[in-house]
Amino acid sequence: MSDGPLIVQSDKTLLLEVDHPLAKECRAAIAPFAELERSPEHVHTYRVTPLALWNARAAGHDAEQVVDALVRYSRYPVPHALLVDVADTMDRFGRLTLANNPVHGLVLTSSDRAVLEEVIRSKKVAPMLGARIDSDTVVVHAAERGRLKQALLKIGWPAEDLAGYVDGTAHPIDLDQAGWHLRDYQQEAVDGFWAGGSGVVVLPCGAGKTLVGAAAMAEAKATTLILVTNTVAGRQWKRELIARTTLTEDEIGEYSGERKEIRPVTIATYQVITTRRKGEYIHLDLFDAQDWGLIVYDEVHLLPAPIFRLTADLQSRRRLGLTATLVREDGREDDVFSLIGPKRYDAPWRDIEAQGYIAPAECIEVRVSLDDEERMTYAVAEPEERYRIAATAQSKLPVIRRVLERHPEEQKLVIGAYLDQLEELGTALDAPVIQGSTTNKEREKLFDAFRAGEIRTLVVSKVANFSIDLPEAAVAVQVSGTFGSRQEEAQRLGRVLRPKADGRQAHFYTVVSRDTLDSEYAAHRQRFLAEQGYAYTIVDAADLAGPGEVNGPDWVDESAD
Amino acid sequence: MPTAPPPTLAAWLRTRDDAQLGALLAARPDVARPAPSDVVALASRLAVPVSVDRALDELDAGTLQALDVVLLAPGDGMAPEDVVAALPDVPEDVVASALETLTDRALLWGDDVLRAPDPVRRAVRYPAGLGRRAVDLRVQLPADLPAALGALSDEERGVLERLAGDRPVGHLPESGGGADSPARRLLQRGLLARIDALNVELPREIGLHLRGDRPYGPPRVRPEPELISRDPTAVDRQAAGAALESVGRIGELLALLEDEPAGLLRSGGVAVRDQKRLARELHVPEPEAAWLLELAFAAGLLDVGGPHRDEWLPTRSYDGWREQDLADRWAVLAAGWLAGIRLPALVGQRDVAGKAANALSPDLVRHTAPAIRRSALTALASYPAGSGLAPDDLVALLRWRTPRRADRLAPVPGMLAEAARLGVLVGGVLSSGGRGLLTGGEDGAAAGMSGLLPEPVDHVLAQPDLSLIAPGPLVAELADTLAVVADVESSGGATVFRVTESSVRRALDAGWSASDLHDFFARASRTPVPQALDYLVDDVARQHGRLRVGAIESYVRSDDHGLLAQVLSDRRTAAAELRRLAPGVLVSGLGADEVLTVLRDAGYAPAGENPGGAVLTRPPGRPRAAGRRPTGTEGPAAPRPLTEDEVAATVREIRAGDAAVAARRGEAVRQVPGVTTASTLELLSRAVREGTPVWLGYVDAQGSGSQRVVQPVSLVGGFLQGFDERRGESRTFAVHRITSVALVEDDDAPVAG
Repeated sequence: MSDGPLIVQSDKTLLLEVDHPLAKECRAAIAPFAELERSPEHVHTYRVTPLALWNARAAGHDAEQVVDALVRYSRYPVPHALLVDVADTMDRFGRLTLANNPVHGLVLTSSDRAVLEEVIRSKKVAPMLGARIDSDTVVVHAAERGRLKQALLKIGWPAEDLAGYVDGTAHPIDLDQAGWHLRDYQQEAVDGFWAGGSGVVVLPCGAGKTLVGAAAMAEAKATTLILVTNTVAGRQWKRELIARTTLTEDEIGEYSGERKEIRPVTIATYQVITTRRKGEYIHLDLFDAQDWGLIVYDEVHLLPAPIFRLTADLQSRRRLGLTATLVREDGREDDVFSLIGPKRYDAPWRDIEAQGYIAPAECIEVRVSLDDEERMTYAVAEPEERYRIAATAQSKLPVIRRVLERHPEEQKLVIGAYLDQLEELGTALDAPVIQGSTTNKEREKLFDAFRAGEIRTLVVSKVANFSIDLPEAAVAVQVSGTFGSRQEEAQRLGRVLRPKADGRQAHFYTVVSRDTLDSEYAAHRQRFLAEQGYAYTIVDAADLAGPGEVNGPDWVDESAD
Repeated sequence: MPTAPPPTLAAWLRTRDDAQLGALLAARPDVARPAPSDVVALASRLAVPVSVDRALDELDAGTLQALDVVLLAPGDGMAPEDVVAALPDVPEDVVASALETLTDRALLWGDDVLRAPDPVRRAVRYPAGLGRRAVDLRVQLPADLPAALGALSDEERGVLERLAGDRPVGHLPESGGGADSPARRLLQRGLLARIDALNVELPREIGLHLRGDRPYGPPRVRPEPELISRDPTAVDRQAAGAALESVGRIGELLALLEDEPAGLLRSGGVAVRDQKRLARELHVPEPEAAWLLELAFAAGLLDVGGPHRDEWLPTRSYDGWREQDLADRWAVLAAGWLAGIRLPALVGQRDVAGKAANALSPDLVRHTAPAIRRSALTALASYPAGSGLAPDDLVALLRWRTPRRADRLAPVPGMLAEAARLGVLVGGVLSSGGRGLLTGGEDGAAAGMSGLLPEPVDHVLAQPDLSLIAPGPLVAELADTLAVVADVESSGGATVFRVTESSVRRALDAGWSASDLHDFFARASRTPVPQALDYLVDDVARQHGRLRVGAIESYVRSDDHGLLAQVLSDRRTAAAELRRLAPGVLVSGLGADEVLTVLRDAGYAPAGENPGGAVLTRPPGRPRAAGRRPTGTEGPAAPRPLTEDEVAATVREIRAGDAAVAARRGEAVRQVPGVTTASTLELLSRAVREGTPVWLGYVDAQGSGSQRVVQPVSLVGGFLQGFDERRGESRTFAVHRITSVALVEDDDAPVAG
């Protein structure tokens, strides 16, 4: 019996014991073909899915390597049947290939005639195929490249895409690494992406995904379309690109509700692209406006379904997806993989945190007991009102105030989902409120003031969930959310994970009403954060010590060091 | 031998020595039970069609081909050299040993000329795959056969050549184009014989003609398939993986059935609905669930039980099984599978009526299954460790070994797949456990697998996301507890449990207190118990406590306050030590069952309640089926082989009987009336003097008559003492009970072997 760090489960999950001496080596060996599912403190869970196995094949790993990794690191004997299944699954990849034929254009060829016959007879696939050239080859309508790949994946015969990419219009872009350097993991991520052609890079918030995008552009040296979630995020991309690359302001266009500029590097919002008039998408021309050499999808886990469909048409262009989490609340992770590309790089948050690139965060759940009146209101409320009543309970206010008082010298964000609650908090805490109706100009002004330290506390609504950059927010207080969404949690945590100048610890508070739906949702969050490997502490509001008191925050006046 | 060769099978058998007769009996044990009285009886037993078929069934294709040569010989017999010459492609020693096998079994007899007994001729319907002779088929062959065949079209010739292969009988194509079909044209020309409405047969002469210089078909030499070689340690490790998986799955399956038994269908078996449910809960595909059910049943861990005998429940042996070592647990499964008389692979297959077979349905019983499994595995066991055969090659080899039973080999691929699931076989190679199973049964299997399976662990790792990971198979006690306080999320080498609100509530319902749970987690977890887990337990316990709190043993509650008042003041309920806790609630320091009994005795109709408030309907004990005794490893299809002693004794008996018959045939038998006469005594004393065996008719004290051959020792006081050869014992015979006496002639006595 060997004493490996890995336990292979019947359902093809892999349990990796983190404290084992071989754990690091083992992780490197299984990462190509297993998706990291959970990374709590002691044992990480990976899952071997057909998609992951095919991605591994696409990246040049063969079944023998996979089987060898499983057998070598496994603590217990691995059932032969499981290994056979892995080999069989991997063997399905590459029977079909998509390639460019000099005469017929895009063709689907097969080394296994029976597979090709099966595929051609499939109702879902047949409409995307054209004439049969010979018994092993069939023409594919070029526009169907993405959809065909997706359909083939669904019927279990993934095609290897050898058709390559168009180069796009060349445009000189270089990184301007004066005073900073691409971090190792960022470089690895770019290399992984470039070698694979297209794909998704998964990095925690604050780990510098924008720089990965910039470095990818510097590799491509071609016109680039960047799709972002909103205008603020777009502006931030623009700032970063100007600062970190040779690109100048004139070369970068903004394509949003306000402005419609098309330049060699164009930043467009998801919203503007999916705007419809009389049922038609009116900004689709953007994709053809330039011969784009690279398309970057920021926050790919939020990619709206219409853009999925559009992306299917862009299979001949290099695509880079950036995200902090591949968890999609709609469960369409597979579509991301098949349309944008397989995951090319991912690292557990804790690893990057350990390298000091993102701030270590302490997650604290503060439990507030509702007063009798509130409890009665909650008890008699309609089910759909209950969460709102629990989340916006008045009893939270003094607790929030006390939490903020624990960190007088730090930049603090109060995040909530209900506008009247936020307004109330803004008034009570004497802090500005940023919400959907706040104009971009006003937002930028407030953000600048926050960055400069003129404002210590900001109250923000959901709009701040994505892609705003608040480097000095060291404390986040979450007062209400969207029903325990894991994705939201990842984003909000990202607010406080940006590295602090002095390596101070970040704090992520969640104020929760005890024994209500609020605490039930908190349980989801708690699980998500624990699975991500964060320390999670539960405190009763009554026990919340002030700074300097017993059990209070380590109030070291860090800046004094 | 100077004398003429023996003219009959019986006479030839008489010329065989004891060792040869012994070999015959050992090879055809069915003729030895009960012991035949003499050689003639033996010969007629050997001619019983069932016995002949059975003997032929066990022969390999090469031996049968040698037999075919003799059967097809133009005359009555054939010299062994001619047989060898007739099969030029087969090595001489192979043919010689085939002939030896055949004569050993008396399927051929004779020394210089080999003859086939008539029953053997009848049993081999199509020797060498050739049809009957034209005369027997009543077909008039064309005068010039080669010319007639030469004139055939390709299509027609194709039909003939197909029939000249392994099987001379074929179906007529249905209706077809009447006279147009080639087979019908051949019929008209007398080149085929019609044997019934549907089938035609090719006359032997045509078959021989078409085969040309290979009248007996291609040489049936033993196939030498390419061996699969694997590292034996790797094989054992992978087998252990499969074993671990099987044992774990069976445990989960039975735990599920313990909670919610599967119903017994009226036609027997498990309903598809139950099978689906189990598959879903085990996270396995449905066929896998069916296989697990079948395996659990074969191992005697699952059977029909319940109060109405209409549920599939774990058996009592399951309780013992789960306490055993992993290797022992696996051995029980493997041995149960090997001896099982069911074919699990048939679950889901549709019968002629289109109805799919249910798991555990009686339709799946095949009494030949254990013999087939054993023969397939034994064939693999003949290769050294680490070598084996691909399934197709193995089937081909088995087909060669027992071609007359080839139709029984259909389940073999399914069986091999099952063996692989169990870990008996890994990619066509037997594991050590599998070899142990074949040679040493359950103990051997356990010995082969021991050391490969992990030791049970007695701890878990508690994680902040509220999962508990058992990094290996758990000791039974901890597994039981965890099944209560947590839900299984993933199983295999390790088990991932998750503690949820509902699982904690379940534990509280089962009588745990919050502090019990805290203690348990602290004790069971090797990692510090995460704060979140403690909070969860406390949160749930707080809610739970709101409903029912108290240090009492039991309560009585009712909405009918009058009734409660009556109960409280009733003298007959004093023994229940009830007191009023609150309006509508009485409590007692006694256990609920005692209070229930007291109340029932007093004429009330109380119902028990569990801590969750539900009325208790299920019996407190775990339901168990009675189970059956595990079947032996020998299926009913294979008779117990004779031991050496038995063979020797039987040979002795036959010899003795034969001697007796010969004696009766030789010397005139002197019938002696019921009274003792001087001539009887004279004959007996002569026999004692000369040491000649005598044939006695004897009536014992119970009045039953018998005939026996006795080697007399003494004749004293009206008693003859002697050695009864057939029964192999010394005994005393009262002279007045002897009804007849004859001397057994020496010259016909068998040559001592």
